[in-house]
Order: sequence, then structure tokens, then C-alpha cells
Amino acid sequence: MIFRTLKPVLGLLLYFGLQNLAYAATCSCAGVPLLASIDTSAKEKGQLFITYNAENHQISDLVSGSQDVPDETDRDRHSFSQVLSASYAMTDRWSVSALVSYVRHTRDIGSSFLGKTTSSGIGDSVLLLRYTPLFITPFSRHEVSLGLGSRIPTGDDDYGDLFILSEDMQPSTGAFGGILWTSYSYAFNQAATLQFNTSANYTYNGVNEREYRFGHEFNFAMGLGHSIGTRFSYSAAVRYRSTRPDRRLGFEIPNTGGKWVDFIPAVSYAVTDKFQLGLSGRIPVARNLNGVLQFTTSYAYAFSASYAF
Amino acid sequence: MHFKSLISLCLTLLLVHSVHAQEATPSFSGTTLNTGQQIDLDGFKGKVVLVDFWASWCPPCLASLPAYNKMRQEIGTSDFEIIAINVDEDTEDGLKFLEKHPVDYPVLADPTGQIGIPWGIRTLPRSFLLDRDGKLITTYKSFKKGDEVKIQQQITALLEQ
Repeated sequence: MIFRTLKPVLGLLLYFGLQNLAYAATCSCAGVPLLASIDTSAKEKGQLFITYNAENHQISDLVSGSQDVPDETDRDRHSFSQVLSASYAMTDRWSVSALVSYVRHTRDIGSSFLGKTTSSGIGDSVLLLRYTPLFITPFSRHEVSLGLGSRIPTGDDDYGDLFILSEDMQPSTGAFGGILWTSYSYAFNQAATLQFNTSANYTYNGVNEREYRFGHEFNFAMGLGHSIGTRFSYSAAVRYRSTRPDRRLGFEIPNTGGKWVDFIPAVSYAVTDKFQLGLSGRIPVARNLNGVLQFTTSYAYAFSASYAF
Repeated sequence: MHFKSLISLCLTLLLVHSVHAQEATPSFSGTTLNTGQQIDLDGFKGKVVLVDFWASWCPPCLASLPAYNKMRQEIGTSDFEIIAINVDEDTEDGLKFLEKHPVDYPVLADPTGQIGIPWGIRTLPRSFLLDRDGKLITTYKSFKKGDEVKIQQQITALLEQ
């Protein structure tokens, strides 16, 4: 019965996993953790879950393929993104999540006359409808969730004074995107204090008004989460991310796209039954990026606060 | 265009927020763990009933069971009763818990969810307040010390109706 329920999910994971392995892969340096922010959702009928997430993403590693290359340009590039998300459960099985982001990109090229460049503004938004046919309860150890949604270009993608800044410096992608999302969790005990979690999502990116298309992106994460008492919990996960090269007017943009493996540790503390704080990090483990040279993630850390109504 | 997208996002959330449905309270029966009685929820019609789902591994249940027992003693049982449902996979764990924290009200064992699944139990503790006709009045999610005061007030108000 459980296998029958999981079969389509596994099929979906396999399909998107294989599809992305067949393609070349990454670097979208402007990665804003939209879908990471939407991993937590309202789970019980009538519940409204509001989450604020702030992430600082340092993008200063220079990589050629899978090799680190010394950066002699004294370049500093980071993004600070704030995401406000709301998730509402219409029933125990159906929920809808929506998020809005505010992004600030900074690029500082020490040896360049351009010097420091910043851009900020409302970024993309996401609307995701989720169906949970199986959920963890005192009587069930498995949870499966499927989601379908859209990324909506609610922000500017033509930021710049004299010149329009490059795409990775824009607050918004400027294009709609389609999102497929799924997750599976297994509770090792009835109290569900120890859980195995996996999630996968695929984003199909559209073309913006400047004929630019960010590479389609696939993420797969798996890890363990453990709760201590009713307040404290921690988790460790490994995430595989793959993006296809960006394109303009249908032509591939060099030095974009690739594959990454990150380690993601996280801790959270429930201040009350309804209010929770969290900290998480993102540490690169391995990467294999397209092109000759790419700047990519050095590290990222995030703070989150959530409230359940 | 961007502003319109934001507005439609908010409107969608508002629309789904208004979707609601009424819940029913499924019946159950069984032999109690602590008193050995045969009980049936329908047999309590005419009384206000608090149905409480709990387990030995649930930290808030350490507080809720003694608090509910005291509340029951204060309210009396002529027009009110508590029925507890223990959902431990191993009922022995529930019995051991009851040895340390004895209660006077009937406790049924539900290790497989025969009662809990129809009642939609996802987390513990979870309590349901039913009126004299067996209709669901309110649901209490989780429990912390002091919650019993508000619960007792609601039960008293219901008894006075």
C-alpha cells in the first residue's frame, strides 16, 4: 500500500534526477533560497504559518570545473535575501504557500574601476499548492507531500543607472517559472523525535523581457532531524543542486550552470508552542561547474522566525 | 504588472482562508485499561464529555493527565466525564505511566489508531470538548500548565447551558 503510494513520487524523483544528470549543469550566483523557505508549511486544517527568513549568501569562491582557483581580483560578492512566507492548510491534506522576497545584491571588485555595485528590491515570489496524501501521526511513520506552483516575477529585473546590471545582480529574474516539489519523511519512533527527510524540487524558468532565461534548476536534499524535548531540534542534510546553463535569445551563456553538493546543518528552538526561531548554514562540499571560470557559493547562513496561528 | 502579481497572490491566500468545513465526532467503544469497564461514547450522551488523546512519550501529557484528573474532581461526574485514549504502540508503556500518574476517569487503549485515525489525531495531546448531545464544541491542541483553568471555565459554561 505504502509502496503503491510512494511509487509515483519515486518515479518523479528519478525522472527529474536522470533528466538533470543528462544535461550540463550550473552557477546561478544570485541564488535566493526561495524554495528552502517554503519547506515548512501549515500541516493541520485551519493552521496559518508565517515565516520570516533572512539569508546571507557569500559568493566569492572562484572555480574552474571542480577546482578552486585563486582569485586575484580581490572580488567580494554577496546577496542578502529576506523572505516572508505564509502557508495555510485548507484541509489536513491540502495547503497553499506563498512567499515574497526582498533581495540586496552587492558586488565589490577591488581592482576594477567599477568598484562597488549594489542592487536591491522586491525579488521573485512563489505560490505553491501542496497535497499531502500521507502524514506522520502517532499511527503512521510516513509522510509524503507533492506540490505544484509558480515563481512570479514581482520585482525589478532592469535595475541599474547608466547600464542595466547583469542578470545575476537583478533582484528578480523577470520571468515566470513552473515549480514541481515533493518531500518524503520517515519517523523512526512513534513520537517522531528522529526523522529521515528528503525533498526535491524542479523549477522550469521562463524567458524574461530581455530574452534571458535562467537555467532550469533541480534540487534534492536528504538528511536527519532530531528533537530534544519539546523545544530544541537540530538537523543535518546534504543537498544536491543542478542547474542548466542560462540562455539569452536561445544561446547558452558561458560559465553558467553546474552541479553542487552542499552540507546544510540547522538548529531550531521553540520559544513557545507557536513561535520558533532557527539558524542554518550552507557549506559547499563539492561542485562541478560549467565553463572556464565561475564565481560560486563560499558559504551561506540564515536566520528564521516562524509563528503558527 | 509586478504590483498586480502581488495583489493576486494576496487575494488567493484570502480566498483559501475562507474555506471551512464542519467536523463530526466518530463514535467508539472498548474496555478501559484502568477500570476494566466496557464503555461506549454514545452512552455518555446527556453529559458534557472531554475526550483526551495521550501517550506516555508525550511531554505535555505529564502535566495534562494530573490536571484533568483534578479538574474532574472539582467539577464532579454527575454531568461531566473525561474519557482518555492512550495511543502508545505498546500499551504496557501507557499502563506504566498510569501507575505513576493514576487517574480516576476511564482510559481506553488505541495502539493501532482505530479510534485516533477517525478523530484525525496528528499530534499529542489533543482533547475534544463535546456537549450533552455529543456535538464537538472545541478542540484543544497541546497542553501547558495553566491551560486547565480556561478549559474548566468552558466546561462550566457548557454545563450551565
